[in-house]
Amino acid sequence: MPRLKKSFHIKARDFIRAGEASINVQNLLKSMDFDPRLIRRVAICGYESEMNVVMHGGDGTLSIEVDEQKLVLEIIDDGPGIEDIELAMQAGYSTANDDHREMGFGAGMGLPNMKKNSDHIQIESPKNQGTAVRMVFFIPEKGKTN
Amino acid sequence: MHFEKDLCAGRGTCLPVCPTKAIRMKNKKAVRIVEQCIGCGECIRVCRESAVSAATEKPEMLGEDHIAIALVSPVLYAQFPGVMPKDVLLGLRQMGFQHTIDMSYFLEIFQYATEEFIRRNRKSGQAPWPLISPVCPVVVRLIAFKFPSLLPNVLPVLRPVALMAREVRRNLITEYLDKGQEVILYYINPCPTKKDPSCLPPRSRSAPAEVALGINDIYPQLIKHVEEIKAADAIPFYQTRFEYETCATGNASMWGMSGGEIADMDIDRSLAVSGMEETIHYLEKIEMGLFQDIEYIEFRTCREGCLGGALNAIDKYLAKSTVQKMVKQFGLGRRLHRDNILRMYEKGEFQTDKDPSKLTSLFGARKKALTIENIQKIEKVLQMIKGTDCTACGAPDCRTFAEDVVRGEAKLNECLYIVDT
Repeated sequence: MPRLKKSFHIKARDFIRAGEASINVQNLLKSMDFDPRLIRRVAICGYESEMNVVMHGGDGTLSIEVDEQKLVLEIIDDGPGIEDIELAMQAGYSTANDDHREMGFGAGMGLPNMKKNSDHIQIESPKNQGTAVRMVFFIPEKGKTN
Repeated sequence: MHFEKDLCAGRGTCLPVCPTKAIRMKNKKAVRIVEQCIGCGECIRVCRESAVSAATEKPEMLGEDHIAIALVSPVLYAQFPGVMPKDVLLGLRQMGFQHTIDMSYFLEIFQYATEEFIRRNRKSGQAPWPLISPVCPVVVRLIAFKFPSLLPNVLPVLRPVALMAREVRRNLITEYLDKGQEVILYYINPCPTKKDPSCLPPRSRSAPAEVALGINDIYPQLIKHVEEIKAADAIPFYQTRFEYETCATGNASMWGMSGGEIADMDIDRSLAVSGMEETIHYLEKIEMGLFQDIEYIEFRTCREGCLGGALNAIDKYLAKSTVQKMVKQFGLGRRLHRDNILRMYEKGEFQTDKDPSKLTSLFGARKKALTIENIQKIEKVLQMIKGTDCTACGAPDCRTFAEDVVRGEAKLNECLYIVDT
């Protein structure tokens, strides 16, 4: 089965260029024959996870894998990791600081939003070994929505 | 958009500015991929040889054998510092137009209808936030082409130009058509978008012909008349039947400025964004889920708004200063009553029957979608070329060139920098 994987670099604390990796993913998916609604869901998840890396993580990569059945978005960074994943998944829980909030981030909706917009999400964050978030989006059959 | 081969110097300045990458250089001359053009006019703006022109017509044949009606964008008023809008319209009459229609009147109607839709949407949640202004046709086309997932965000209220055209057809021209006279509608525009075909009712047998003129097409003639009117002691009086045939307010030109649409609107959480690059950047962000706390965004792909349109006669900053002086003198204020508009709203007068899928078929990306194998081949081509976006091959950038190669529309050896491996 043909498969495609593309990776994009994310730089920690670079708020000016934050979002570029997700935009690259969006543009790639738009050149292929995907439902705009599916692309929108991937875009939202990509941006949320990219912002998490920019705000909390170390440098990282955002990669997209495409095959005939699914899209897999994977975000890996070498930051401090997530202390309590279960807590972080709760809407409204945030470890953002005042600077983040001043820029309009830190509402504690990042991970819940990613969960809502993906079909499957898996988070690995062993202490001090960075974080890996993997999200799967199944490609709906032509003419069907999901 | 028309590309004049003989004038093109082959510099390629138009290649990278095209937001839909619709221009290629063939045999050192720029050519356009017609089905990818959204009519934004960025190429007109950057061409030093004036080899690109809007597909608008010239006003030579005015009024000889037909009733000529000018449908006037308020941007025209901003081209004449110190002149009242009504005198600009008078100038058009002296040029030979039998009727002049002030579009700002319909912009005001649109403004009331928009406020009402937003007020109701707060409760009904019919459309997603942020709503996107449909006033700039290039923005709507750009969304259909590049951001189809945002089509539901486009405000579903009839555009001012459609309201204007409907009124003129319904009430102004019927008596001429009944008498069998020929009527031509001349749209006087600051940009080459002409009118958005998706917004106008289908042409019927009795429908008048339509012509789009650029402001710069009529300016040389019009300024003479406007100067005369300014210098005259007594100005000729023209009878008008409808309120919108003249423009009694001085601030109408405000609509041409970025932010002019929302300045007087009764919506707190709104934004005005102008410029092609900025518009694309914001649309990307909206697609990623940002700005859902904003209710309405006014986008104009021309910097500074319609005053920055490619077919204007005077510089956008001079025009802006004219507008600001007018607004200072006359304030914001509206001339229509909300109650009347609300009654029309209740009757469904502002609803668009515009189906997003129709927009997609008119302006959506029409290239064949790439497969996984195609993208792998594109990556391979990209590895073989230097990747500096030099445009010497005739494509706007390396990625587009690689795509053209894989699609069979360009040859690899057209690249001057193939890396030998």
